[in-house]
Amino acid sequence: MASGRPIQLFRNMTAKIAAIPMILTALVIFVGGTAWTVVYSFTNSKLLPRANFVGLDQYERLWNTNRWIVSIENLLIYGICMLVLSFIIGFVLAALMDQKIRFENTFRTIILYPFALSFIVTGLIWQWLLNPDFGVQNVVRGLGWVSFEFDPLNNSSIVIYGVLIAGLWQGTGLVMVLMLAGLRGIDQEIWKAARVDGIPMWKTYLYIVVPMLRPVFITSIVIIASGIVRVYDLVVAQTAGGPGISSEVPAKYVYDYMFQGQNLGQGFAASTMMLLAVAIVIIPWAYLEFGSRNRG
Amino acid sequence: MARAVTTQRKVTNTVIAWGVGLLIFFPILWTILTSFKTEAQAISDPPLFLFFDWTLENYAIVQERSDYMRFLWNSVIIAGGSTVLGLVVAVPAAWSMAFVPSRRTKDVLLWMLSTKMLPAVGVLYPIYLIFIRLGLLDTRGGLVIVIMLINLPIIVWMLYTYFREIPGEILEAARMDGAGLREEILYVLTPMAVPGIASTLLLNFILAWNEAFWTLNLTAATSAPLTAFIASYSSPEGLFYAKLSAASTMAIAPILVLGWFSQKQLVRGLTFGAVK
Repeated sequence: MASGRPIQLFRNMTAKIAAIPMILTALVIFVGGTAWTVVYSFTNSKLLPRANFVGLDQYERLWNTNRWIVSIENLLIYGICMLVLSFIIGFVLAALMDQKIRFENTFRTIILYPFALSFIVTGLIWQWLLNPDFGVQNVVRGLGWVSFEFDPLNNSSIVIYGVLIAGLWQGTGLVMVLMLAGLRGIDQEIWKAARVDGIPMWKTYLYIVVPMLRPVFITSIVIIASGIVRVYDLVVAQTAGGPGISSEVPAKYVYDYMFQGQNLGQGFAASTMMLLAVAIVIIPWAYLEFGSRNRG
Repeated sequence: MARAVTTQRKVTNTVIAWGVGLLIFFPILWTILTSFKTEAQAISDPPLFLFFDWTLENYAIVQERSDYMRFLWNSVIIAGGSTVLGLVVAVPAAWSMAFVPSRRTKDVLLWMLSTKMLPAVGVLYPIYLIFIRLGLLDTRGGLVIVIMLINLPIIVWMLYTYFREIPGEILEAARMDGAGLREEILYVLTPMAVPGIASTLLLNFILAWNEAFWTLNLTAATSAPLTAFIASYSSPEGLFYAKLSAASTMAIAPILVLGWFSQKQLVRGLTFGAVK
């Protein structure tokens, strides 16, 4: 058709225009905002941003601050445990339930409810459930185990695990539902074939099923990981960083320096470090994961 | 397709499944139950499960102390507004990515998604400055825009995956019949994508409803939503568990109810479209 080309061209144009609002806002806000923060992290801004550059002073100070080191350690512990445990628990539960369950939609809704709650509410609920006088410790003692001790929120060496429990509660249901959906997609014949060949169940899972669940794993990682980096509300609601500074996290450090410590430069430096850390982990991985499909 | 198992295992598995489900649901249930107890009953030892004097006094006190309806209304406006605005911006973008892809479409999508992984604190201060300059601090309009922007990558991504499943030939046929671009998107594409759009809407609404980082930092008295309402109860009310539970229940009830009546969309939305 003779008119095919101009129409195609016109469509391409409108397509570009249709995407512009989104790309523009993303560009201005994310790239612009991030760049601004990075630039001002090299200044000695206190209460207000001032373009008075002092080189790497803020970073030096940052890495000499105990609270920042504690924050990083906490984020590492929380992040690694969160990823590993939510995957293992989610997968094991999903494998146990890989069959038609009665009232399935309702079941999945209930499992997903924690994920639909704000971290603030989750933090408050678990602050209470982990309270030694009314929560888990008290219930277990009531069952007869009188010396049982479980008081993570008041013990600075394990408080981050108390936060982790709340995080796991919120996120594991999601991983489980995702994996359950993935398991459903696996052909019945594969199980039969594996059984005929006499392959043990765990081997079938490990070598055949898990590799097939790759897309589900990726979705889960992206969702869980983006929650880990941003962990802030949960800590604020559950422990407020305490006892002392033992459950501080980087996002809270940044926030406190920017708005309460009135030391903007320090806050910017800390948030730049966070950006850098995320970029170092995400960018190579993302290109390996998604980039190859692009060409393939 | 689920694995074939014996009836006996089926029963066992169903029992395990519901046991796990109840265990996960228990903290929420306990919070709701506690909100109907008196303060003394809330901390009684051993804990009271169902047999206590049900009372509404906590709700009355919470309502009297802080105007729940105002927070609720702010939440509805902010979450609803940002969802609608997000859809208006995202539908054309997702349409262009799904049906008129260019060589860079995948890159743009990937880059957009990666912004979702970045810590929000990185752009907090610039946005704070812009808000002051434009007089948007502590306004619902400002929050609508920010939360829309924060969730935009996810909306576009989800819509894109749904749109891609719609055969392009149908849109082409509509075009042959003389449908313009506006009609094509509004009357052909959108109706076919309704289930996907509904899930996207619900997910975005929940994300916006729960957004605490931005709402706590950019609002004060007039435009604070329910996240701020519940956060205000966390410290001073630390030892009044019945009231705290009432406030929590009031904050989460709308989501629980909404989710209950749209279970299918909720599951699909919360799993980011991974569960069909």
